[in-house]
Amino acid sequence: MIADYDWAGGTEAMLRFGPDTGPVMVAILPLFEEANRTRTFAVRLLRLLAGRGIAGVLPDIPGQSESMVPLESLTLLRMSEAIEGLVDQFASAGRRAYGIGIRSGALLDTLALLDGRWHFAPMAGNELLRELHRIWRAADPDRHKGDIQAMAFGSDGPVEIAGNLIGSDLLAGLIAAEPFDQSGIPRRIVRLDSDPRPADRHLPGTPLWRRSEPDDDPALAGLLADDIASWIAQCEA
Amino acid sequence: MSIGGSLPKDKRIGALVPEGRQEIEDTVRATLCDVLGLAPERVADFAPETPLFGALPELDSMAVAGLLTELEDRLGILIEDDDVDGDTLETFGALTRFASAKALQ
Repeated sequence: MIADYDWAGGTEAMLRFGPDTGPVMVAILPLFEEANRTRTFAVRLLRLLAGRGIAGVLPDIPGQSESMVPLESLTLLRMSEAIEGLVDQFASAGRRAYGIGIRSGALLDTLALLDGRWHFAPMAGNELLRELHRIWRAADPDRHKGDIQAMAFGSDGPVEIAGNLIGSDLLAGLIAAEPFDQSGIPRRIVRLDSDPRPADRHLPGTPLWRRSEPDDDPALAGLLADDIASWIAQCEA
Repeated sequence: MSIGGSLPKDKRIGALVPEGRQEIEDTVRATLCDVLGLAPERVADFAPETPLFGALPELDSMAVAGLLTELEDRLGILIEDDDVDGDTLETFGALTRFASAKALQ
């Protein structure tokens, strides 16, 4: 079901799944191109959670997906304020909310008053910057020269990277951005088997965010839905 | 605080980074499969002389960027873009040698 949510900067759309009561999982897609590659998967995951009696939402982040807000006007802080507004909306209705941060989506849940954060393959902002820089260089090797600073601050206007116009404030904000581990609030990290970085659990699956065409991994979605469901049960106990 | 049957954060489990040459070749194969969306049986048949860049339509410049980053993550290596030239991705063997040289440094 499509609904709206309000935040300090306006109104955005969201998809709602599952019951109208109980805790809500707020799924936050990665930034930029990876959002397109993981959306189908995130919808499948939220449907599976709904089938387990757990409510979920997939909000449009300002500047992403169908949002009318130009991406070039946004910063990490503004995007995080949108998630904050969404979570406040549930809080005022007496519902607890948990974040599902996917990849760089784990950088956008810092302001929201969440009851827990479940991060799938989370990444730091500087890792994302490195990837953006590599894509920027590859797009036009003759003209796109220099380091990350040259990419972010080399021109007056926003930088076009793989079809996204990204402002220098947003790029600068990524330099020090880390997934939030809030003291006293449950946080769980799940990664793929192929990712050697530390996590609470490693699971077999495909890094869909790398695919040039959107794809899906139903088996992985099932494993993650089970993991989230048991984690929520413990958080809520 | 970490719950859900998990370990405390400082004891979070990291899978082992591939270290042997065969392991690195297997990792390169799996990464090509995952990043380019190729069938595993097709990638299993890749020989050292199998051509990659220019021969696989899936491997465009954007995919190269994703491939290099994913190899960095899986092998725990750092690839400077200046280290990569036309030859690096010419064949499966060349890419595996490049990855091995980085990982076994």
